[in-house]
Amino acid sequence: MKKSLAILAAAAIPVFSLGAQSPEETDIVVITKDGTQSAPLQGGKGRKNSNQTLFLRSAVEERPSKTAPLKTPEKKPVRAVKPKPSPSPVSRAPEIPVPAKASVNDKPRKSLAKPDKPQPKADANPDIRIRKKAPVRIENDDLDEYSNVATIADPAEKLNRGTFWLNHQIYNYVLRPFSKAYEFVLPAPARTAIHNVFDNVEYPVRVVNHTLQLEFKRADLETRKFLLNSVAGVGGILRVSDRIPELASIPPADTGQTFAKWGIDHGAYVVLPVLGPRSLRDTVGMAGDYALNPVSWLTYGGIGGATALAVTGPGAARNVHSRMKVYDAATENAIDPYLAVRSGYIQYRAEAASK
Amino acid sequence: MKTYAVLLALSILTTIQWTFSASTGDAEVFLKKSVGEVVGIAKSSPNSSALAESVRPLLLRVINFDAMTRRAVGPGWREFSDAQQKEAIQLFSTLIIRTYSGKFTPGEMPEIDYKAATSLAPGRVEVSTTTLYKGSQYNVVYRLEETGGWRITDVVIEGVSMVANYRSQFDAEFRQGGPGSVLEALKKSASNP
Repeated sequence: MKKSLAILAAAAIPVFSLGAQSPEETDIVVITKDGTQSAPLQGGKGRKNSNQTLFLRSAVEERPSKTAPLKTPEKKPVRAVKPKPSPSPVSRAPEIPVPAKASVNDKPRKSLAKPDKPQPKADANPDIRIRKKAPVRIENDDLDEYSNVATIADPAEKLNRGTFWLNHQIYNYVLRPFSKAYEFVLPAPARTAIHNVFDNVEYPVRVVNHTLQLEFKRADLETRKFLLNSVAGVGGILRVSDRIPELASIPPADTGQTFAKWGIDHGAYVVLPVLGPRSLRDTVGMAGDYALNPVSWLTYGGIGGATALAVTGPGAARNVHSRMKVYDAATENAIDPYLAVRSGYIQYRAEAASK
Repeated sequence: MKTYAVLLALSILTTIQWTFSASTGDAEVFLKKSVGEVVGIAKSSPNSSALAESVRPLLLRVINFDAMTRRAVGPGWREFSDAQQKEAIQLFSTLIIRTYSGKFTPGEMPEIDYKAATSLAPGRVEVSTTTLYKGSQYNVVYRLEETGGWRITDVVIEGVSMVANYRSQFDAEFRQGGPGSVLEALKKSASNP
């Protein structure tokens, strides 16, 4: 504070010193606490035994006199008025992934402080002012922390919202009662058993995709897990592999994720009837998963409708049940369930693709 | 005299080092204790609404709701008046408490495996956990920050950050009608059981 005042004064004082203080006008100055003053010269030389450093007037006075008029008027407004960001600072965030710690906040401030002086030269003074404002900055710096979270283009939002609404009705009036009945009819251990069996059978989906992603180690682990659970776990009813840390934490793999690792983007966001949120890429991926799923092979294997249903039925029930759980978790307590599901889906898929 | 000075300097150095490495350790200890308490309450609660109610005082203590609300709203936060900020924090806390406690089913005990905390920045750490709950495994990441003691600032379940998820929703509200719109939506959701 004191320093900045001194420098401000430095700009003003020479004006006075011209008339009042310095009898002889020279081009040589010294810098004192009160600003620059003409050096007390003795016959064109500096005073004896003085360790004052002499400066050329033009070299020293140029700088303060340039910055001073800029600073003085805006000094107070910056502090007093809450800095208002541009009309819709938020609207930008979802679309453009800004690198972490994006300084959307900083930009308007910096430009406020020195609109036409981006050079680091002028930093001597602004430095002091920034330190003074520190508490405000720290508090606001974290506001935009979450601007770089995964997002997805949603050009068909109107249509998607329509389908979302429709799905909501289907979930509430058809699938939820079904899911409840499933919960009621089958105790938890039985549901877990069914889940485990179908999960185990979906082994080809995982092993093929691990391989396509060139994750041979994972494909190998997946194979061991499958064999272990099929044999020791009685056809996959018990997930024995959970007791082996290496096998318990194999990252999941599906076709959409494989596409992601190949560098294919999501494309647009779509809400499919009944099935719910997908990106275009993952919709294609889903077809791949379906083709790789042994349960769906049955329908094409010449097996009669009733038998096929008997086999696929529990799997479908399990899918409905787990999907209802996810849907409820995502929409409960949401401000806008549609956006909550969209953001959740895209974050979840981004995480899956990063493994 | 000199040796004393050297010894003193050494002991100061080791203390500094110790407190530095201890701080991430502190975060881990704090997290384990807090989550343990939540699980304990969840286990003994008769139903979900009782669970949310009885876990509230604990969560108010261990979660940094100020930071969470601020970041969930984003840069628009500056346009909130002090009173509006206060109200938003209060309403959002209710939502977060409900959301977080909703992850627990009364009577069920999760098996939580804590990984070592990783430091994100000075005073900020992330603790990954694998949680085995009701037969499924979940990756749950806790973010913590030290502001006069460690507190939780985000919970990321299977890659889905609680704060980021709300941010996408608040952004839309804010674009529609500024702080008023955000508060209105918050009120609506908070009063919705």
